[in-house]
Formats: sequence, structure tokens, C-alpha cells
Amino acid sequence: MDLGGMRRQLERLRGLAFKCKVEFAEMRFAASRSSSLMLQDGRADRMGAGERAGLGVRVVAAGAWGFASSESAAFDDWAACLDLAVDMAKVSAQRLAEPVVLADTTPIVDEVHAAYDLDPSEVPLERKLAAVRGYEEASACRACDHVANVMTAYSDARQVEMVCNTRGTLVSSESVRTMIWHAITTQNGSVRQRASERRARQSGFELVEGTPGSEFSAKAAARAVSLLSAQPAPAGKFPAIFHPSIAGLLVHEAIGHNTEGDLVLTGQSILEGKLGTQVAAECISIVDDSTIPGSWGSYAYDSEGVAGQKRVLVDEGVLKGFLHSLETAAKMGVTPNGSARADGFLHRPIVRMSNTMILPGENSLEELMQDIDLGILLRGGQWGYVQSEKGQYTCHAGEGVMIRDGELAEQVRDVSISGMTLDTLANALGVSRDFELEMPGNCGKNGQSMPVNGGGPYIKVKEVVVGGQA
Amino acid sequence: MSADGLERVLRIVEVACAAAMRAGAEFVDAAAEHGETRSVAVEKNAIKSSDARRWGAVSVRAFSRGATGWSSASGLSEETARQAGEQAAGLARAAEPDPDFVDLVGPADYAAVPGLFDPRLAEVAGPQIADWITQNIDAARGVAADAVMSGGANVRWRQWALANNLGVRASQASTSGSLFVEVVVRRGDDVGSFYEWDAGRSLSDLAPEDLGAKAAEEALRYLKSRVVKTATLPVVLGPRAGLSLLTGLCGAASAEEVQRNRSFLIGRLGKQVASEHVTLVDDPLIPRGLGSGVCDGDGFPHRRVTLVERGVLKTYLHNHYTARKGNAENTGHSTRGGISATNVIPSLGTKTAAEIIAEVNDGIYITLGRLAPDTASGQISAMVDAGFRIEKGELTYPLKNTMVAGHGLELLANIDAISSDYRAEPGMVLPTVQVQGVRVAGGG
Repeated sequence: MDLGGMRRQLERLRGLAFKCKVEFAEMRFAASRSSSLMLQDGRADRMGAGERAGLGVRVVAAGAWGFASSESAAFDDWAACLDLAVDMAKVSAQRLAEPVVLADTTPIVDEVHAAYDLDPSEVPLERKLAAVRGYEEASACRACDHVANVMTAYSDARQVEMVCNTRGTLVSSESVRTMIWHAITTQNGSVRQRASERRARQSGFELVEGTPGSEFSAKAAARAVSLLSAQPAPAGKFPAIFHPSIAGLLVHEAIGHNTEGDLVLTGQSILEGKLGTQVAAECISIVDDSTIPGSWGSYAYDSEGVAGQKRVLVDEGVLKGFLHSLETAAKMGVTPNGSARADGFLHRPIVRMSNTMILPGENSLEELMQDIDLGILLRGGQWGYVQSEKGQYTCHAGEGVMIRDGELAEQVRDVSISGMTLDTLANALGVSRDFELEMPGNCGKNGQSMPVNGGGPYIKVKEVVVGGQA
Repeated sequence: MSADGLERVLRIVEVACAAAMRAGAEFVDAAAEHGETRSVAVEKNAIKSSDARRWGAVSVRAFSRGATGWSSASGLSEETARQAGEQAAGLARAAEPDPDFVDLVGPADYAAVPGLFDPRLAEVAGPQIADWITQNIDAARGVAADAVMSGGANVRWRQWALANNLGVRASQASTSGSLFVEVVVRRGDDVGSFYEWDAGRSLSDLAPEDLGAKAAEEALRYLKSRVVKTATLPVVLGPRAGLSLLTGLCGAASAEEVQRNRSFLIGRLGKQVASEHVTLVDDPLIPRGLGSGVCDGDGFPHRRVTLVERGVLKTYLHNHYTARKGNAENTGHSTRGGISATNVIPSLGTKTAAEIIAEVNDGIYITLGRLAPDTASGQISAMVDAGFRIEKGELTYPLKNTMVAGHGLELLANIDAISSDYRAEPGMVLPTVQVQGVRVAGGG
């Protein structure tokens, strides 16, 4: 891919945009190249590679947004794409609440290269295969006779996003992401259980070299084996302690989405009108930080060309701010904070999280548990979703451990929880000093999927609803 | 959309296959598609943006000693197709052999599936899409003056082709349109919300003007929600929640999951997996069906398949590879890399939904919820996204912070009624389903 040529073509297209007399135009070229392999039943019999590249153009014309995209690299097609975006803006103008206003920004011209030690594209396939095979062996060795199926996947991707707009910004951001994933299904008679582990960072192949099987696939195997003898979780309301992986789900699903400026402005967030007020217990402070080196959700510039940064969302329980695009920042009269991200060239930027976390406190896990007579520790966070307008969320934990008389007791399985966001936040009773930011994944919103990370300390909450069977 | 578009994508897949075979592949198939989506997004009762997305892409699967090499690329040039074919062949050679691989699908005649492409829908332009969605704003505010509506509408056309080195040549042009609206109403801190959708492959199957008012009326019903006490109760699943439980079975019925020893349906073929009320047929040939098409992702001709008959599992869902590996009949469910059902149609019962609800003395009604069981363990632990308490045969108050749980096989075995009336969407039948003895978690 001739990136220099694409850059020059973007500048040429910007020249055309000025002639279109639009109020604002933003041209993004996005390209990615990826490779993957899958090891299953002892065989790496599936290998893959992919390339995508194209242009997304967004304009404000007659006070309204229009967007168009093309997978072509030809300039004539790019010019047609610009014209189409202008036409689409006219469609938007049919029913406009108020003309689009964008926050002021200083033009930035910059080029950011990915940081890594071992370029994945230069690592021989044999070396990748040997590492992945080692993970499978570590897992199978740990699960012994209980193994029903093991899958181990490796993938890497190099992405480039160039953002060029009519305010003079032209930034190019490169990232390299590497991911390993292991899932094991165990079996005891008719009972099957599954556990998985994922490591994903903005990194080269050094992620794999620095991840021994004992700290990765063998952990999943140990969990999947122990779950075979675990009992179903109880049903009802219980005092609970969330492991950092559940804290990562909670902060993302229950709180993070509610701080997205677009949802706040459109009446879809329970945090609308609550800026500056107490929305959580004093032990809860939350930040979203896209500057953490190597983290899955980090970036130098967002898809509007605004620098990524650390954003304080909640400080000691008080709602301090929201995540913003140029548009939501203008509407709320604040400075943009670099939170507009687009999933490739096919989509326009929307407000997204990056690395979202609850900050650690001073307690130990034992201190948090000590006055719980009957409760549940939830860990192995897997997935969740939120109905942001109602403030109702759910998170699925891979496992739970009952807390009896302040001590960890029997393990339980198949456990999801639900709660009302503001109740859960207000009823947080303490957070630990232990902290993890290890929930890398992809978040879906409006049909777009973006890499994010989440985490936090152990969190003690007064009660949550556990969707169990006992 | 160009008239020669299908010929173009067919040419691309033939170029990709030829390149892979020249590069040493033993078998190869290639798929390519291009199309355009026009969409209008609404936020807070006004248009947020209007988008036009054009795409084209090719993907190639090459096989060497059974090993698979995949390559995909955006763009539809012959040069891109050649490179993808060569890359896939190289990856297949580098991957490890799979002794279970036998061959690819051979050429066959495909049944015509009427109504997959509607030229009138393909021609719908941005302003008309904007009209569809904005008239719903007015309708929603006609129901509740303070209603806040978000959502969107889109129209898409697509031309797709598949070829393999054994002579398969398949192609299909299709259209689809869809609308989605979410309405939120607030009374102080109290929030009621609801979403509605409509989708179709032809203009005549879309009723785009009805959604806003419906969603607003429903949103008002969900104000003043309450917590239910933890108990074991009968549960009535509305059309959307009911389908999630019934079709949730299909994920675990994938032969890939069964052969890889990670499905709770292993060993259940020919056995009772649900109550006698449950009969499920998958029919990908339904005219204008949202899941319909001429063939599956391998190029195998689509056909009607009975999945569950009076509660007995009649077949697993196969693609060509799993059918060969398991010495079973191919059911034509390949998604080219995976396995999936298409249009799952449940058989209907004798009572109406209203009659089913009227017979429940003490239970809950779930309007929206994701009740598909975990494919490995079979467990369900799901939040009630929207639902009501049922008392003495009446829906009395909306629920909040409520969960349901159980093993998928238990819930399916405890189905004691499927309604005679249903919500109909193209290729979809969504009845109401009653399940006895479900663990419901709330307060207390």
C-alpha cells in the first residue's frame, strides 16, 4: 500500500471539498492487513489473511451531516464519494433539529507509527505455530481426562487511519495489534463446561513470547475443570464482590455507555442532567484513558483527528464529565476530548470508550469480604450489555464463589447478574487496592465494532440480582 | 446497480479460483459480492446523518491435503482476486493436513426462490428513506408529546456469486430494507422505553409508518416498573423472546459443535429435546424470506429441513464438511466457515396468546429477553429486558431488574403451549410460548 500516495490523494480531495462550499468535510482513509491461525484437535489446519482499504467521507452541508464510503483507491471514485456525501447531507437536511455545530479545534499535522519489538509480519509461521501449540499442550496437560475440546487462536493486524479535514488537520495513525485466545470445553459425564482466556494488546509478537502457557491457557483449563464439580448458582439478591474482570464489564456496560455524549444528548442515558452531582458512592472514581501504552483500547488520535487523552468521568462519586466528539462537545460547551471513533472506512465516527476503569482503593479482598455473612464473589467476566436509557445492565460471569461468614466457600457456575446502574453505583461499599486492566475486547454500537479495554479493583456492592437456579 | 453486476462478480470468483489452482491448491472456492446501503439515522426526533456505503469484496478458500487457507480482500478488481487466490493457496500449503476433509460440493441445479430481489426497493432513494423514518417521529409524538425517538432505516442491494473448482457456479441478487425505532418516555426519574423493527426484501413487505406509534404506546406501558420476588413461576414468552428460546437450540445443533465435542446436544439425535408441542422446520426457500437463498455458503442447494418434530431432534445442522466427516446427509447450512439455520418456523398450537396469558394465575410475561442457551453447558441465565407480572390472567405491572435461569433442555421440555396466533415477518413465524416452572430471580 502506497501510504504516501494515499496521503497526497487525501489532500487533493480536500481541495475539491473546499470547492464544494461545504461547511466542513472530513476524509478518512483506513487500511488494515491481518493474519490468523487456528489450532484445534491438535491441528493448525486453518490459516487466514485479509486486507481491507477504503475511504469514508463525512460532510456538513446546509447544516446537516452526510456520509459516503468507497472501497476504491482511484481518485475519480473518491471525488464521486465526496459528491455522494454532499447529496446525503441534503437528505439529512429534510428533518433537522438544529444546524450542526462543531467545537473549535487547532489543526494538527502528525504521523504516528506503531510501537512494537517484534514485527508479527516478520515472525516465521513455524514460530507462531510452536507458541500456539505450546498453549494447547499446557491446557490439555492441566485438564487431563476431562478435555472435550480445545481451541487456540492467534491473530495480528496492522491498521492505518489517515484523517484529513477542511480545518487543516491531517494525521496518520498506525497500530499493530496481536491477540491470542484459548477456549477449552471440559466434560464429566453429561456435564460440559467451557472457559476461555484472551490476551490482546497493541504489541508485536512479544505479547506471545512474554505469555507462558501457565499464565494463560492452563488458567482456562483449571477453571473449566473445577466448574465441572461446581453447583448451579443460587437465585435472588445477594451482597456481592466483583473481581476486576467483572468490574471491567460493569464499568463499560453500566457506566461507560451512559457517559457517551451522543447518548446523553439524545435522552438515552440515565446520566443526562446529572453532571456535577453525586451518582456513585465516594469510593468510586472512573476514568477513560486512551493514552495507556500498549493497551487494546488505546490510540494516539481519534477518527476526527483529536488527540486521545485521559478523561475523568466520575471522581469520588461525583459525575465530572462525558466522552465527546466535536459535535457533542460543541453542544455541551466543552473542549473535545478525542472520543470519536469509526470502525474502518465504512462508518462515520461516533462517540466511543477506549480503556475504561474504576480506580483502585485501599482495601484488601479479605477486608472487603469480612462482614459478608452470605454473599457471592463473581469472577471470569465474559460478556454483558446495557439498556442505557433505563439504566438496567447484565453481566455474565464465568464462575462464582459463595462467601460464607466472611470466607470464600463453594464454587458456583452458570451465573449472570443484573442490576440498575445508579443503585449499584450508590451501593458500592468499598474497592480493593488490587487492580487489573485485562478485559480487552470489541464493543459493538450502532453496527460498529471497536477495540476497548476495561478493568478495575475488586468492588464490594450491597446487593445484585443473581440469575441462578438454586 | 448495474445490470451486468452479477456477471462481474461471477467473473471475479472464477479468476480467484483459477489463480488458486495455478498456485497449487487441490480444491478451491471463492465468493464475491458488491452492493450499496443507504441509511438514515435518527437521534432525538431529528435526522442525525444520512449515509451511503458502497462495498465490494472477495474471499477465497483454498485446500491442500485438507488444510484450509483463507484470504479476503476489499475491492472487486481481477488483480485483487488473483492475489487473494494465490495467497489462499500458499496458506493452505503452510497449514497442517486435515484427514477429515474429502472434497467440495459438486455442481447442482438450484430452485428458484421468488422475491429475493425487488427492483422497486433497490431504487428507493435517500429522501424516501428519510420520509419513512421521520413519519414515525410524528406518530410517536402523537401518542406521547414528550416521546423521544431514535433509530434508523436503510435499504440495501447486493449481488453475490460463488464458484468452486468442481464446477459450482451460483449467483444471487437481493434487496433488503429495514427500520428500527426506539422510543423513550420519562416521568421524572421514571423511564419507559421500547423498540420496534420491521424488515423485508420487497417494498410490499415493509410497513414503515407503523413503528413509532407502536413503540411509543409500548414505552408508556413500561413506566412504573417493579421488582418481582424470587420464585419458581410459569413464564409466558412473547413472540420475540419465544423465538430466542426456540432458535437457541439451533446453535447447539450445529454438527461442527457436536463433532468437536462441545455441544449439550451430543448423543441427543433422535431423542426428545423439547416437549411435544415443539416442531421446528428450517425453510430457506420461503419466497421473500429474510433468511432465504438459492444455496448455502458451500454452494449446496437449499432445501426444507425438519429440525425438531414433536420434541424429537431429527437432524443436526450440517455443511458439506461435517456431513462428509459424520457420514450424514448434508442439510445445507454452511455459512462458509460456520453453520447456521435460515428461516426457523415453529408449528403452532391451539390457544391464542391471550388465552395462554388468561390461564396463568401467578407468573411473568417476557416481551424481550435473550434466552438462547450456552451451546456447551446448555445453561440459560438471562435478564428480562422487558416484561410484565401476570396475576390472575392479567398483565399487571412491568418488571425491572429481573432474571430467569434454567437448563435449556429443562425449559424446552417444560413448554406446555405454543400459541395459534403469531407475529409474522418475511420468512419468520413468531408465536407466544409458555414455559412452566422457571426460576425467576428478583428481590426478596
